[in-house]
Amino acid sequence: MPWPRWRYVLPLRLRSVFRRGTVEDEMDEELRFHLECKVEEGLARGLDAREARYRALRAIGGLQQRKEEIRDMRQVRWFSDFAADLQYAARAIGHSKLFSILVVLTLGLGIGANSAIFSLADALLLRPLPVYRPSEIVTVSSFTPNSFAETTGPLSYRDYVDYRDKSKSFDGLAAFTDVTGFGFASRPGQPAKLKGGILVSGNLFRVMGVRPELGRDFNSEEDRIPGRDAVVVLGNDFWQSQFGGDRSVIGRHILLDGIEFSIIGVAPKTFTGLDQYVRPDVFVPIMMWPRLIADPKRNPLENRGDHELMVKGRLKPGVSIGQARAELGVIAKNLQRAYPKTNRNREIAVRTEFAMRLQSDPTDAALIGMLLALAGAVLLISCANVAGLLLGRARTRSREIAVRLAIGAGRFRLVRLLLTESFLIALMGGAVGIALGYGGIAFFSRLNVPTDLPIRLSVQLDRRVFLFSLAISLLSAVLCGLAPALQTTRTNLVTALKTADVEIPGKRRLWGRNALVICQIAASLALLTAALQMVRDFQQKWRGGPGFRTDHLLTMAFDPQLVRYSEAQTQRFYEDLIRRVRALPGVTSAALTGALPMGTGGDGLSVIPEGYQMPAGKESISVDMDVAGDHFFSTFGVQMVRGRGFRETDTATSSKVAVVNEQFAKHYWPNSDALGKRFRSDSPSGPLVEIVGITKTAKYEWMGEPPTEFVYLPFAQHPRSGMTLLVQTEGPSAALIEPVRELVRNIDAGQPTFDVRTIEEYYQKRVVSAPVMITQTVSAMGLVGLILAMAGLYGLMTFTASRRTREIGIRIAVGADAGTVLRMVLRQAVILVAIGIGIGLFLALAAEKGLNAVFATSGIDFAAFLMILPAILGVTLLAAFIPARKASRIEPARALRYE
Amino acid sequence: MSKPQDLVQGTLDLLLLKILTLEPLHGWAISIRLRQVSGDVLQVTEGSLYPALHKLEQEGWIKAEWKQTENNRRAKFYSLTAPGRKQLEAESANWVRLSSAISRVIRLKEA
Repeated sequence: MPWPRWRYVLPLRLRSVFRRGTVEDEMDEELRFHLECKVEEGLARGLDAREARYRALRAIGGLQQRKEEIRDMRQVRWFSDFAADLQYAARAIGHSKLFSILVVLTLGLGIGANSAIFSLADALLLRPLPVYRPSEIVTVSSFTPNSFAETTGPLSYRDYVDYRDKSKSFDGLAAFTDVTGFGFASRPGQPAKLKGGILVSGNLFRVMGVRPELGRDFNSEEDRIPGRDAVVVLGNDFWQSQFGGDRSVIGRHILLDGIEFSIIGVAPKTFTGLDQYVRPDVFVPIMMWPRLIADPKRNPLENRGDHELMVKGRLKPGVSIGQARAELGVIAKNLQRAYPKTNRNREIAVRTEFAMRLQSDPTDAALIGMLLALAGAVLLISCANVAGLLLGRARTRSREIAVRLAIGAGRFRLVRLLLTESFLIALMGGAVGIALGYGGIAFFSRLNVPTDLPIRLSVQLDRRVFLFSLAISLLSAVLCGLAPALQTTRTNLVTALKTADVEIPGKRRLWGRNALVICQIAASLALLTAALQMVRDFQQKWRGGPGFRTDHLLTMAFDPQLVRYSEAQTQRFYEDLIRRVRALPGVTSAALTGALPMGTGGDGLSVIPEGYQMPAGKESISVDMDVAGDHFFSTFGVQMVRGRGFRETDTATSSKVAVVNEQFAKHYWPNSDALGKRFRSDSPSGPLVEIVGITKTAKYEWMGEPPTEFVYLPFAQHPRSGMTLLVQTEGPSAALIEPVRELVRNIDAGQPTFDVRTIEEYYQKRVVSAPVMITQTVSAMGLVGLILAMAGLYGLMTFTASRRTREIGIRIAVGADAGTVLRMVLRQAVILVAIGIGIGLFLALAAEKGLNAVFATSGIDFAAFLMILPAILGVTLLAAFIPARKASRIEPARALRYE
Repeated sequence: MSKPQDLVQGTLDLLLLKILTLEPLHGWAISIRLRQVSGDVLQVTEGSLYPALHKLEQEGWIKAEWKQTENNRRAKFYSLTAPGRKQLEAESANWVRLSSAISRVIRLKEA
């Protein structure tokens, strides 16, 4: 088979680029050979040597032109030109170091802000699942019009099996549980540690296209018989941390919740889990579920009403998400008919991963959108500045460029040269930006929930962030380089060559610069008001405090189910624990709670308040709730407004009671006292619960939340395995960590304790740090924006004033006084500032709308505007005043001799 | 690039490819061969020969090799490549079509 054409062409191109000298020499030699032959021929025809040589050269027709033509034939012109441009650009940048540093730093600020924000957005929202072809994966969730968890609505195992077996749209549907705490011990007799894993359907690894790094994944046998196959696949991080990456772990046994599991595989490093946060330590077949649940009454594998599974599937090639939705919709209808008891009104949703993430946490999504917009604004400002600076410098080069144009350089060629320069600058800015962004990423990675479970927000500087920064750099090169390059090369040759610095102040040449000034003022105004408003908003929200004790409190979490306690054993354990802790010296009081506010363990409850008219189509209302033991309210510092907290007399057999907050009471009994009123819980036929106490409305999810309805139920009437112990202490609470641990060991040496923290630490890490970081981020961006805008404005004002040096000189020479000149120069600035502020106000009001949506506030924060407006006005006018005053003091003789 | 004015565009490429079908030749030999075969009808400036040769080389239709001439001097010899042979066939066919069409048109005028 003959060589294809490219086999001849490619080596030639490479040679033209990399062996340029050799190629040139060969060309010279070839032409010389031709000339020599020609001369010899002439000599043979009897010409004298000079004449022969002359004729030979004539015949060639201009040796240098021919060489150029030949060089053109090599088709690598663009490349060698680029290399030359790059050299030239590097020289130009090195030539004016201070200018370059200024430009690179300005760009770096803009790019760095974007890298950092992007890495956050990537971690929270954008990064695709770490599986094979993640775009084919969709999320299936089930919901009823009633259920509050519509977005992540889990499926029951039985429903999942029906969807899996009856649908044809998928190359497999896989199911898995939310992160589940396991009591892990590497061998019997060792105290159990809390680890987090997920239960998965046997096909999960195959559907996700994830091949184990070591060993194998689950086979179909292990997905068949409940409770038989105790096998486990380890998460890669877990394997590294617990087994030091030992490759001989396959076949070994570990204990999970006291059951011996055999290790069959290790997940690859790339597979971090099935959502953005949870990095499972272990993967356990779902068939082991009944054995892991100590409660014999619960059987999630059989009970169609037990909705706990997340389901993801891979669409078959050519099947659209709409087709899958339609198919599953039909199955859902059939299930509604077949199982009216559990599946009445139960519908199915099929969503892409991205849509699911957006809908499951709209607040986060809105916040990210806002931060991205802010980062974009900062980038625009810095690009505008750099463009202004480049424009200013391009002007000093207008003569050089005019000369180049005059001797025949094409305009496109010159634009390319100038763009190469801005590309180089942008790449340097990108490097600075990535360094700054790295700092920002380190800052954001502190944004983690304090928990012992493997839940982590991985904000990282990875390839995606790097590529994003690179793209942003290139974009900014075009943004800030194109306008100056185009404008500079649009020089009027004659005037530019005649006098170096006179420009005709035509309208056309000025619009770009004016627009830049206006944009900067507008953007920084919008940014700063947004930042200030956020700060003020947070301050205001903070003033009331969180509504619970934030000092002298120790928290410690338990889950006796992890060591296979029965319900009765658990109950006894907690009774024992609370009694003994209260007797400890240094303890003021102690209580149990289901979850700490603003933590990960929040719960929901469906309620039907008596006498309340339900909105159409709704059977119940879902509210946030917590399970609390006796003395909880006094221990945790939740203020009782009326009625009582839970007491020892509220037992499983006494009448059902609840404590609600003021917001809840006010909402459902607006005109009467809620105390003594009742609501049904769970469903319209559920038990009646009497309200025995009303607390002040506290903060439950985060400090910025609007007043939220909340219900507390007594632990005695709603027993559960996972509880958190609260210990109020007389002295520093950290001093009691060991005594309490010792006490737990005395009750049961194998009982795992986790999330052991002082409330100060918890409050700082969980409650204070995130919002403070957000405010700091926005303020920092606003400040960066302001600094950039100030620098840009000053630069542009200096520039516009200096453009008119000659004109001003003439005016002064013919009798204008300094005041007149000052006013003349300032007039332009005032007009620009006015327009900029006008647009900025408009933007700020739009931003305010967005902020109101995020922070659930309303109205316009006029005070923020009142603080920012004069500041912007002052800064801009000062920036204009300095160059204007300088201009008004020009010595006419010098100005006219300017060139 | 200056083109020989009396040659239809692309014809020089065709001629060069054709000349190189017989044997590998260096530039000087090619220019002599051009003169010989076409007589004085086709005047090719010697200068435009080399850009044309380099273009054909860069297109991958001919390849170059440094070899000794019969009187022992180093020269760059060009020879046809397989893709070049195909290109020649295509261009020859094209040329035949074009010239026959033109001659038909001319005869039509005379009739």
